[in-house]
Amino acid sequence: MKQLIIQTKNVALIFVSFLALNSCKVTFVPSYDSKISEQIDETSKSVDLFYLNMLETTSDKDTSREFDKFSEKYVELEVELNSLLNKNKVRPLNKSSTRICEITLQLWQKYKGIHKKDDKLTNGEIIYNRKIFNDLFYAMQVAEIGKKLAENPPQ
Amino acid sequence: MKLDIDEILADMLSAIKGTVAENWKEVQSIANQFLQNKKERLDLLAELRINGDLNQEKFESYLEDEKLVLEAELHAIAIISKAIAQKATNAAISVLEKAVKAIISSVV
Repeated sequence: MKQLIIQTKNVALIFVSFLALNSCKVTFVPSYDSKISEQIDETSKSVDLFYLNMLETTSDKDTSREFDKFSEKYVELEVELNSLLNKNKVRPLNKSSTRICEITLQLWQKYKGIHKKDDKLTNGEIIYNRKIFNDLFYAMQVAEIGKKLAENPPQ
Repeated sequence: MKLDIDEILADMLSAIKGTVAENWKEVQSIANQFLQNKKERLDLLAELRINGDLNQEKFESYLEDEKLVLEAELHAIAIISKAIAQKATNAAISVLEKAVKAIISSVV
């Protein structure tokens, strides 16, 4: 009986030592990735520039806003959004950031489709599209800040 | 040296509370910014509709898109909340680790 108690104590000591020496940490969110954060920033600036240029240098009163004049830039920016989505998709525990990217891409494709169908955009549409994407990129950046927040080790 | 579970639990709770409180202001300011962004979008949408810059069909389509933008914003807040939970849990585990290490070093 005495030997059993000693054995139990030893097992408990080994368990506690394991716990203490193996620095247990829980993970609910993926680690912060500065490259993805930079890519969000760059893509956000490119989309902003795209809509501001369209608003300032073209008009819906003539042919300067026809879809063909912007199709190449639409494709280029969609590639960036796809890249962000794929980079987020492959990271574990990253469903929320992935969903934000999916929504951004979904709306990008929708607004591109509207421009293509109407073959023009009004100033109002450009202003609103620009605002929506600014706010979606802000949500993406907030998500990245969250990951950075989780990394600060407890004091 | 004795392992005082009650004291360790109290320290762990205090570590959790400290971490959450420390980050609450950050969550609050982000949530406020999302609300402000939404207000600006809805104001803009109403203005564009009133001015005739948007027809009724496009106005309704944009209102529908607002649901998706809200979903995206809630996902961003979810990440912040999970990050705070992670930080608080690890702070509590760290308290336990330190207590156990102290016991081990006094025994060995």
